[in-house]
Amino acid sequence: MTKKAQRDQKIAFTALRISAVLVAIIVVIILLQITINGYSILSIDFLTEMPRNRMTEGGIYPAILGTIYLIIGSMGVALPLGILAAIYLNEYAQPGRTKWIIEMAIINLAGTPSVVFGLFGLAMFVKYLGYGASLIASALTLALMALPIIIRASQEALITVPEEYRYASLALGVTKWQTIRQVVLPPAIPGMITGTILAVGRVAGETAPILLTGAAYFLPRLPDSIYSQFMALPYHLYVIATAGTNIAQTRPIQYGTALVLLTIVLSFNMIAVMIRRHYRRKLRN
Amino acid sequence: MSGSNNGNQTEIEVRGLNLWYGDKQALRDISIDIPKNSVTAFIGPSGCGKSTFLRCINRMNDLVKNCRIDGLIKIDNKDIYAKDVDVVELRKRVGMVFQKPNPFPMSIHDNIAYGPKIHGAAKKDIYGIVEEALKSGALWEEVADRLTTSALDLSGGQQQRLCIARTLAVKPEVILFDEPCSALDPISTSKIEELIMELKQKYTIVIVTHNMQQAARISDYTAFFLLGDLIEYGKTDQIFENPRMKQTEDYITGRFG
Repeated sequence: MTKKAQRDQKIAFTALRISAVLVAIIVVIILLQITINGYSILSIDFLTEMPRNRMTEGGIYPAILGTIYLIIGSMGVALPLGILAAIYLNEYAQPGRTKWIIEMAIINLAGTPSVVFGLFGLAMFVKYLGYGASLIASALTLALMALPIIIRASQEALITVPEEYRYASLALGVTKWQTIRQVVLPPAIPGMITGTILAVGRVAGETAPILLTGAAYFLPRLPDSIYSQFMALPYHLYVIATAGTNIAQTRPIQYGTALVLLTIVLSFNMIAVMIRRHYRRKLRN
Repeated sequence: MSGSNNGNQTEIEVRGLNLWYGDKQALRDISIDIPKNSVTAFIGPSGCGKSTFLRCINRMNDLVKNCRIDGLIKIDNKDIYAKDVDVVELRKRVGMVFQKPNPFPMSIHDNIAYGPKIHGAAKKDIYGIVEEALKSGALWEEVADRLTTSALDLSGGQQQRLCIARTLAVKPEVILFDEPCSALDPISTSKIEELIMELKQKYTIVIVTHNMQQAARISDYTAFFLLGDLIEYGKTDQIFENPRMKQTEDYITGRFG
C-alpha cells in the first residue's frame, strides 16, 4: 500500500467512526434528557388517572389508551394488507406497466407528508364514508401511512429468500401458493417484522393525521366505540407543550408523556424483536 | 437430428422440440427416446442447451418469462404439454435435483417430509417414508441420530444426497439431475455417482453433466448437444469409443469445450 492510500484509508475510517459515534451520542442525549426530566412524575396515578384542572394536573390515561388503540387498529389493517400486497408484487405480478405503476404509487405514498394523509383521511373517512372524527378514521389514516413501510420491508424480505427454495419446492410438485406459505414466508417473516417495527414507531408518533381525523384536545371520558373521538399521546404532548396556559408548570407532565410514548413504542418493538428471534431460531432448527 | 435407443422400453419420447428465449432459439428440432430404468447423460459445452432441455422435461421452463416451446414431449406415452396436463402433478412424477444443493432451512426430517406431507401422506406414515427415503438416498446411517437438526448443518455432499432423498420421498418415476456434482468434492461426487447407478433400478434417470468422465462412468446412454442441436445420441460406449459425428469426437477428445 502506498503512503497516500494508507493516509486516505485512515481519514475514511476516522470519518466513519466519528459519524457512528455522533449518532449514538445524539440518541443517548435525547433518551437521557427525556428520562431524567420525565422520570420524577411517573407513578401509577399518572398512568391511570384522567387529566385534571385543565390538564395541568392528573394523569394521561386516556392518551395512553388512545395511542394503544391507534397502534392496534392501524396495524390490524396495514399488516395483513401490506404483507399480502408484497407477496402479490413479489411472487405473482409480472414485470410490466401495472407492476411499475403500483410500485411507483407505493414509493410516492412513502414520501407523502403526514399532513396530506391527514387531509385525505378527513375527506375520505371522516366526511365521505361518514365515520366522523373518530378512532376508526384515525386508525385507517395511520394504516395508509404504515402501508408503504410494511410493503417495502416485506418485499425486501421476500427478495432475500433464495430462488433455490422456490425451485426445490415447485420441482416436488408443490403448488405455487403452498410453496409461498411453506417455504418462502417463514424465512421472510423476520424481515417483515422489522418493517412492522418501523411502522409502529411512525404510527405511534404521528400527530397531524390524527389531529385532522379524530384526536381530541381534551375529553372528559374514555372512547366507548370505534366511532368515538379519543386522546392520544403525541397530540396531548403538543397541546400541553404549546396551547396550555401553564406551559412551565406542566413541563414534568410533558416529559412524562414523552417518556410514556417512547416506552410504548419500545415495548411494541421488544415484542416484535422477540417474535423475530423466535422465527429465526425456528429456521435454524 | 434424431436419436433412438435400440430396443429398450421408452419412457420419455421427444419429437421436433424447439425452444426460444424471446427471439433467441436455444433448442432446435430435438428428437430423442430416453429408455426406462437407465441413466441417460446430456453432455456438451456451456450454452449448448442441455440444461434447458432437461428443464423442459418437468416443465420448469414454464417459470421462465419469454420462454416459448413447440414440439412434443411424451412421458409414459402422454403428452406433457397437452392442455389438460396438471403441471404440479407432472412435477410429482418427474423429480429434479439441482446443481447447487438446495435443502430448505428446516430440519433433516422436515426436508424429507415436506413433499409427502403436502401431497397428503397420513401422519403416522411420515416417519416410515422419511426413513425409507433417507435409506434410498444413502444418507440414513449418517443422519439417523440427528433427524431434528438443521439440514443446513450438513456438508455439501450430504445436503445433495438429502435433496435426492427429498425427491425420492415424493415417489417420482423420472429423476432429472442438473449437474448435481459440480459444487461437490471428489469423494462426495463418487458417492452420488454410486447412488445414481443404484437408483436406475427403480427410476428413469437423466443427468446433465459437464464432466465427460462422469458421463462415461455412470450413464448407459449419452446425448451430445452443441449450440442448441442434438448432435449425436447413442449407447455411452459407442459415443465415447466410436462417435459417428466429427463434432462429438472433437468434444470428447478435448479439442474444444
